[in-house]
This record gives sequence, C-alpha cells and structure tokens, in this order.
Amino acid sequence: EVAALPAPQNLSVHSTNMKHLLMWSPVVLAEETVYYSVEYQGEYESLYTSHIWIPSKWCSLTEGPECDVSDDITATVPYNLRVRAILGSQTSAWSILEEPFNRNSTILTLPGMKVSKDGFHLVIELEDLGPQFEFLVVYWRKELVTKEHDKVVRRGGIPVPLETMEPGAPYCVKAQALVKAIGRNSAFSQEECVEVQGEALPLM
Amino acid sequence: LKILHLGSCVIVTNLQEIQSEFSEIRDSVQASDKNIDFRILRNTGSLQDTEPSDRCCLLRHLLRLYLDRVFKNYQTSDYHTLRKLSSLANSFLTMKKDLQLCHAYMTCHCGEEATEKYRQILSHFEQLEPQAAAVKVLGELDILLRWMDEAE
Repeated sequence: EVAALPAPQNLSVHSTNMKHLLMWSPVVLAEETVYYSVEYQGEYESLYTSHIWIPSKWCSLTEGPECDVSDDITATVPYNLRVRAILGSQTSAWSILEEPFNRNSTILTLPGMKVSKDGFHLVIELEDLGPQFEFLVVYWRKELVTKEHDKVVRRGGIPVPLETMEPGAPYCVKAQALVKAIGRNSAFSQEECVEVQGEALPLM
Repeated sequence: LKILHLGSCVIVTNLQEIQSEFSEIRDSVQASDKNIDFRILRNTGSLQDTEPSDRCCLLRHLLRLYLDRVFKNYQTSDYHTLRKLSSLANSFLTMKKDLQLCHAYMTCHCGEEATEKYRQILSHFEQLEPQAAAVKVLGELDILLRWMDEAE
C-alpha cells in the first residue's frame, strides 16, 4: 500500500512592502521531486461561497517551498491560503494557513533614496517599490529648519527636482513611503544633505 | 484612490483598480450575455441622478445585489476570470463594510427615492432567470462604476 503523501507544514506569510510570500516546510522524499499547489480565498469567498478556492496565479504547480501571492491578494480583506504536495498522481491533504492574512499587515520599510544636485537643483530619486507606492518628501534649508517644504512623489525610480538651492547652504531631505490602498505609511528615512559650493548669500 | 461623497457618508475606494480589474473580463462577460436588448441598470436609476442623501442607501443595496446574487451566480471555469471576480467581490465587500459604518452612524438613510429606484432595478433583475440576470448585471458593472465615478 502506497504511503500517503505528507502535507506541507509550518505555513507562514512574510510580507514586506506589499510583496507577500507564502512559505512552508518542504516535504522531503528521497530521490523524488515534490511539487506544490497553492490556492486562496478572500473574505468574500469564505463568507458567501466557502466551498470555492482559487488556484494561485503563479503557483498552481510549483517546485520550491514558497509562493509569491502578491497578485492573488488584491483587496484589503483577510485571505485564507492553503497548500498541498503533489508527487506524480499522488496529492497530499491540504494544509491551511492558521491565521488569515490581510495585506494591511505588510511591513513598510524606510524608502531607499538618493539625494543629489543637478547644477543648483536639489534632486531626489526614490526606490521603485511598485505601483501601490507614493512618497512624502520633506526638504529644508539646514539653517531654516522651521521652514520645511513637502511634496508627494507619485512614483519611485525617477529623479525628481525639488528646489533650486542657494550656493554655500546645505539642504536636507527625508522621505516616507505611502500606501493608500491600505491607508498606511512607513517611518521617515534618515535625512540626507547636499550643498552647492560657493559663497552663501546673507539670510534676509 | 477615489473619495465617494454619498450625502453625509463619505468613503474611500480604489475605483481605478476596480475598473482595471473589470476591464480584463468585461468583453468575455458581455459576450456571454444573451439578452442584449434588455438593461437592468438604467439611467433612470442612476446614482448621480439620485438625491445625495439617498445615494448611500441605493449604493448599499446595489453592492448587496452584486455580492449576494451576482458574483455567487456567475459560473466560469476560467481561472483568470475567477481571480478577477474574486478581486472585484472582495473590493465590493470592503466598500459594503464602509457603507455599513455609515449606516451604523445614521448617515445612510433610505428615503423614498432610493427605495423606489432599487425596487425598479430589482424588478428588472427578476425578469430574467437568476444566472442570466447575474451575467447581465455583471456585464453592466461598468455602468455602476461610472455612476460611482460621477456621483460627486
């Protein structure tokens, strides 16, 4: 009699910056390649059509013990996730994630940023974290800390001019990531300062 | 994100995302609608031509119609369509919860106009057999999304 294929164990979701990775302990069988199948249901399915589970977009048949479910989790509601092992014609029982996952629990890291000068222009380029991200950029002339300016940058990955700088005066910048879809933002990054060489004009 | 002003009920929704998800299945859904000379969501019942104070109630009824009788009854074996339907249904569920909050705070009053308009929509809906009606109203989702977009 063929031994039942063991079900995957230790399911968990690791979510950072709206990238959601379902992980589990692999099923290890000597000299065999075990595949896995992942399915999900949102709160709607669990409330209205609980028998319906939807095959994950990228992992209806996958080899590694993990699955990027970011394209499956498309609403800010709790999602159930399940995995089973597949070996040839054999399939294991389903293992279901213990706690439903909601994308509003994603970890938002400090946004990477590069502050530079283009002639007299103060320029920032933010990390491209994908279409769900905007950024709040705050910048000021160092001696005028009370006079902060802010600007919302809609996308990362492109240089954005902020202000024309006076020579000889350092200008500083910090930024935070905003994800409107879940109504949350990251902490502010460390400030970075740049200066255009030359003689500073007296402050009026 | 879109801020929907529905009388004194205000909700935020990702309308653009919902429109984008629906646009991926609209043609196939509408192609499966056999009742082409019949409309369920008619301009007479539109959200934007409804008194602001009644819009929340009308939208709440419409969302419930989609959640209870449309997404559930739409049959498909195509996984791409199934994923898009799931995305739409869970986004509608999020909106419905927001409107429920307004209802709890007495800012989602059902006046005569909303009640009558929804009654008409329901009567059109029930003239078709359940699955045909589900196909029809799912195909008309862009009408509802336009109503929401224009309900300023």
